[in-house]
Amino acid sequence: MEAMLKNVTSTVELLAVAAQSGAVEQWDKQTLSRAFDWARYCEHVFSKFHNVPTVRRIMETQLQLTNQGLQAALPGYTEISFSDLSRCQHLLLVGLLNNPELPSKIMEILFDITSNGNSKNCEYPDVTGLCSRIIQYKSARQVLSPLADLSAVGADAAVQGVMLMERLGALLSQGSEVCQIEHFLDSVLLGCEEAAQHFCLVIAAALLTPKNSTASHDFLLDWLQKKDSMLQHMYSALPTRLLKDVAKEHLKFRDAYCDVLKKWASEMEYSINDRVWVQPSSTTTVSFQKLTEHFLSLFEACPSLKEDVEKELSALKTSDGDFDVRGLSVWGDLLTALKKKQPGKCFALILFSFNPDFSQS
Amino acid sequence: MAQQQPPIQSQQTSEPLLNVQRMQFWLEKVVCWGQAGSPDIQKDICLHLRRLQGFLQQLVSHINNMSSTTEAMKSLPFLGQFLGRLCWNPYVTADDTSRRLLFQCMWGLYSEHPSNAVERKANQWIQKVLCQLATEEDNAAVQELMKRMGVSPEEYHLKVLRKMVTLLQENIGKSCSSLSNINQRCSCESILATSEACVPLVTCPEAAPLIGALLQRPATCVRAALSEDFLDALSSAYLSQGASLEEQAVVSLWYHSLSSLEGAVLSLLESLLTNTGSTPLEIKQHVAKSLLPKACAQHCSIFLVTSDIFRSILKQAEGNKSIKFLIQTFTSCFLRELALLQPQEHVSLKAFFPQSPQSLLVPLLTLPSEMPQEAWRHHLNWISSSVQRLTEEEEEGDRDSGGSTRGHHKVYEAWFLLVQCGYWVQVTAQLLVTSGPEDFGPLLWLLTFYHHPTRRLHHRALQLVHAKEAWNHLHCLFLVLAGPLPVDRLQSLLTLMSPQPQQPLSPLLILKLLVNFAVFSQQQLSRSTKILQTVVDQSGLAGEAACVLHSLELRLNEESCVSSDSNRVHLRIKALQNI
Repeated sequence: MEAMLKNVTSTVELLAVAAQSGAVEQWDKQTLSRAFDWARYCEHVFSKFHNVPTVRRIMETQLQLTNQGLQAALPGYTEISFSDLSRCQHLLLVGLLNNPELPSKIMEILFDITSNGNSKNCEYPDVTGLCSRIIQYKSARQVLSPLADLSAVGADAAVQGVMLMERLGALLSQGSEVCQIEHFLDSVLLGCEEAAQHFCLVIAAALLTPKNSTASHDFLLDWLQKKDSMLQHMYSALPTRLLKDVAKEHLKFRDAYCDVLKKWASEMEYSINDRVWVQPSSTTTVSFQKLTEHFLSLFEACPSLKEDVEKELSALKTSDGDFDVRGLSVWGDLLTALKKKQPGKCFALILFSFNPDFSQS
Repeated sequence: MAQQQPPIQSQQTSEPLLNVQRMQFWLEKVVCWGQAGSPDIQKDICLHLRRLQGFLQQLVSHINNMSSTTEAMKSLPFLGQFLGRLCWNPYVTADDTSRRLLFQCMWGLYSEHPSNAVERKANQWIQKVLCQLATEEDNAAVQELMKRMGVSPEEYHLKVLRKMVTLLQENIGKSCSSLSNINQRCSCESILATSEACVPLVTCPEAAPLIGALLQRPATCVRAALSEDFLDALSSAYLSQGASLEEQAVVSLWYHSLSSLEGAVLSLLESLLTNTGSTPLEIKQHVAKSLLPKACAQHCSIFLVTSDIFRSILKQAEGNKSIKFLIQTFTSCFLRELALLQPQEHVSLKAFFPQSPQSLLVPLLTLPSEMPQEAWRHHLNWISSSVQRLTEEEEEGDRDSGGSTRGHHKVYEAWFLLVQCGYWVQVTAQLLVTSGPEDFGPLLWLLTFYHHPTRRLHHRALQLVHAKEAWNHLHCLFLVLAGPLPVDRLQSLLTLMSPQPQQPLSPLLILKLLVNFAVFSQQQLSRSTKILQTVVDQSGLAGEAACVLHSLELRLNEESCVSSDSNRVHLRIKALQNI
């Protein structure tokens, strides 16, 4: 333990040197490679101990001390937290590349391209051409992205979904506390605050990953159900095709979906002027037409659900007085719309979108 | 990727005026490319990528010829702006060669010891641009997610790239929907655009599955054409060993691109002709590894192109034994690959050899191992008389019409087929050892024709007389099992082999016969060795003798004929190889 603490401290000091001191001028290929080895070591330490509260606490205390020392020595030093250890190599790279004292020979190693593709043959394959590889991957993605708009989720969200599930799986298998895992998910959600739409895609992609063990999926679904506004946002923002795919896979998601749709319907009011049901001023604005589309897509995902929902809607219509006049009960009009659109579903959906005044037909 | 080497004079003189103008052209191009990525812009970039590489190469040498960064910036005022814009063009930075040259330009402008403010600024700028390129994310959410998941940018972008490649690959694999209805839109429309986008990715190993899928897509739809720029970029990358393609993708590349196939055949020829020390076994392995025999078996059109190249090379170098041996080896490898194909994939042999005399086709393409050894002599006598008839027809045609190209063509094609099926020539030489004076005629004729296909009648008659003489000497030398060595015979043989202008017979023919006698006759090994040793020493044909022995050994191993004699023969070959 003591040795490990010492190693982590040295690596944090190394990061500070790499980012801020002129000592990097003395570095060569070997020094560079060793620095990355140590950064990798810290990443390993993080993945092994971030779920062990006792070790984590000791580490955090030690890091605090180291940070204080470095702050005193190097003005402008940025603190390294325990969770930063998980991406130590990246921090090292960013530090080095931003260091004005970085010698060009080190840059040339990082941006080397002669050994690209056959990195097995060079002496330090990890660091040689590291930046060149990152640039190549990023650029290749950009070149392909106008063409790769093929799935509803998209390559980015698909990969992030897999990463999320892997991380979740790891946390669960390490026997982490529920609150810890929830905290992790909360922090991811928080990080994506600016990109809520994207986060919905990531969650959908995560739920669509192959079910190797249901535990991670169940955990994510349980967590999601506690985030009411997030869930509602998902149902209103994601394409129905994608929602249908997820609903097919997960009962909990499907039930929540159904509940949200009923909730939206119950909130609707009839606009006499426009002769259409609308949602009153609320955060989610789903049109009556869109709502019908959602129900139909849900029935497609789970045909057995259709009968129950229709029964339920009939009962609600009855409680509204059971009139067959448009504009009196949202349930009655919804039932009529659903029954009209069901035969020949796909075709009906297409017609639907071209016929906004469907309630008259 | 093979680099276009700029002409030497422009590399050396680097006239500022010329370069400023060209720089202006390229700067305008790059500015234009920087505007929102439309398909037309993508097309234009891919079309210009090779030329841009050439220009960057020139820039690298221009910058390196300058005494300082200040001077370089003065000579080309837009240099910094140009390079900066290129750095943010993903098509340029995705392409290995362009990226390398671009970085080389940047290093060239980096001053180890900056002497003024301009140079200090340039250094800072270079470091900043490179740092941004490598570490900045344009998407804050992505950055945040990477941080939370503890994933490095290298790993993350690699994963997304692979995912994109998989998605595109799956899309390409979808069957074409326009077959049933020609007016219907189909996924094939994206093939051209995808292949264009792959121009900068031909050397990127991660894109290889997508490139493979593009190449192997069945060409059923008119809209599924591949971009020529893509095929060109891929062929040159493959030839310079920059592209990592799977076997089947390479075969498809040759199928789609004639220039790439020609390049592959020529590079095979070149590598074997420059590497003259290779043993027959090494040549065989090299040929098999080239994948060309396999591709030929799968696609008749590939075989026809390859044959045409061999045919024309052989015409120019009729007597070159290395080329003859290569063609023979190639054909054996091809026939083996053809035999491995499923019966339903077979195309008739006639389709592969449309120009060959059809009566000779099956007899020559049948491998010696496919028939009993007792039948060889009769088989070869038949082949010999068939070819003789063709040459007689040619000569008659000559007399009638004063030179008939059709007759020449037929004889040449018969000879070309015999070269391709050279294993029968080897059997001919072997059978000549056990022949008697009464039945060696047709075999010797065939062997002589193989070595001298284009001589006129009087020449051929003279060649045959010499060949018979040589055979007689050898027959005597190896038939007399005891007593002193008939030195006079040996001397006469050497005279026949001596390189004199009036000597019409190829020394290689005699050597081939000699080696076969030494291996297959019942002569004592020590005596055989001595005879071979003497001839080799005095004629200076040691390398050729070793080569004949090697190919003999290779053939016998391949045939793996189990006879009481095979063990003895192998031992003799081994012993003779030690000469």
